[in-house]
Amino acid sequence: MLFRRIYQFLIVYAMGISFLLAIKVGLSLSDYVIPGIPLILETAGQMLAPYFSDVMNTLSVTVLGQCMSIFMAFAVGIAGRKSSWIGSFIKVTAYNIQAYPIVALAPIIFILLGDGFIPRLMIASMICYFPLLLSVIGIMATPVEDIEHFYIVTGRMRWQLEVKIRAFENLNKLTTVIAGSATLAMAGTIVAEFIAANAGIGYSIRIALYQSDLAKIFIALFLIGIVISVYQGILETLGEQIKNKWSISKKGKIL
Amino acid sequence: MHLECHNLNFTYPGSDVAVINNLSFSMTKPGFNAVFGPSGVGKTSLAKIIAKKDADIDGRITNQDIAVILYSYNLERLPGWSSTGTHLNKVTPPGKTELRERLIHIFELNDVVHSRFSQLSMGQQNRMNLIRYLLQDFDLLVMDESLANVDEKLRETIILAIKELFADKMFLYISHNLMEVSKFCRQILVFGKPSENKGSLMVQGQDYKQGYRLNKQSLDITMLEIMNAF
Repeated sequence: MLFRRIYQFLIVYAMGISFLLAIKVGLSLSDYVIPGIPLILETAGQMLAPYFSDVMNTLSVTVLGQCMSIFMAFAVGIAGRKSSWIGSFIKVTAYNIQAYPIVALAPIIFILLGDGFIPRLMIASMICYFPLLLSVIGIMATPVEDIEHFYIVTGRMRWQLEVKIRAFENLNKLTTVIAGSATLAMAGTIVAEFIAANAGIGYSIRIALYQSDLAKIFIALFLIGIVISVYQGILETLGEQIKNKWSISKKGKIL
Repeated sequence: MHLECHNLNFTYPGSDVAVINNLSFSMTKPGFNAVFGPSGVGKTSLAKIIAKKDADIDGRITNQDIAVILYSYNLERLPGWSSTGTHLNKVTPPGKTELRERLIHIFELNDVVHSRFSQLSMGQQNRMNLIRYLLQDFDLLVMDESLANVDEKLRETIILAIKELFADKMFLYISHNLMEVSKFCRQILVFGKPSENKGSLMVQGQDYKQGYRLNKQSLDITMLEIMNAF
């Protein structure tokens, strides 16, 4: 799964670069507009190490932001799973807030908190929080009647058991959503760094943009792609391992 | 022990067709009773109404000496994160360990208690589920096709064992097996086909117990009575 993610990205990246090079050749554009392969390779030699460090910096914020959003999504999702007044209120609020573009709120966060680690973390977690929350609320609010019936009628149902049953029955969905939210968290962090920050790959891309240095941006995109592919691959592998450990397949699928 | 239903009517919200129409019946004494009829006549709806004491119904259901009613059905599942044996242990009330082991033996599930629920065959799943209910404190247990997918011989063994082990409890058995309900149930509530405007009828079953001797003639009469009722 991990290697599949990486080579899928490499194919997409190679296609993108080839497309731009085709435009460059077709329209006889200068290296200033679209850099040629020698310039890209030269820039890679110079910037690969510092940009890798920047991407790792961004990734650390991404991972922390994603962990925060997973924790918050589960806490609110579990609280909002009931069809009580408070549960309905949480669901309606979540649906309404998620419709609002979080990036648009970024300037407020930067004005109030300034540049730095906390605003990046907040934006990263907020961007992946709402899609996660909607999935968790959807899963937690849907009863698994065939399993829960016994515990309800015999008075054994506790909220912990209810959550466990619903999480277990939707393990595939949950692991997919969590792995998918990694991209959102990374995008959120980069956007935050791009708008106003003093570290991270988004900040470096902003500098490259001001220098109109597309080769640097290609290198940054390459590293972002590789790192996020590896991170997502690790999350998916972890998800698979959890599924294999916690559940067990039927004797074997015939049909 | 007494379960009585007076002029019960039930229509699902949003539907114009009544599932249960002016139903009245009475079941007395502990033992195995049945609800029988073709699919879609309201057997499960009735069972759920009886089990859900606070159901909003048109009519009256009264009972005597029936405090706890449990409803089990054949599509129920046990959670899949640990073995069925572990789940059974967790839901066994104190003092019923011996009964649990006995039921596992009678239900022929000794070999699968270490397996997860999803690894069991459908018949094993239904048997495992039924054991959970039998271990609980109840006065009336509704068994809605709870022994579906179990072979006939074992089903007979299980029913006879339940009748012996839980002689002071009332059971409401929903099944599509004419022979089975005729043989083992005492009172059989037969639902007629609504398309033929047939109401419900209470038929006396043979109520066979452990070590019974088959009386073919009276069994045939019971079966004919049931067939004529729907």
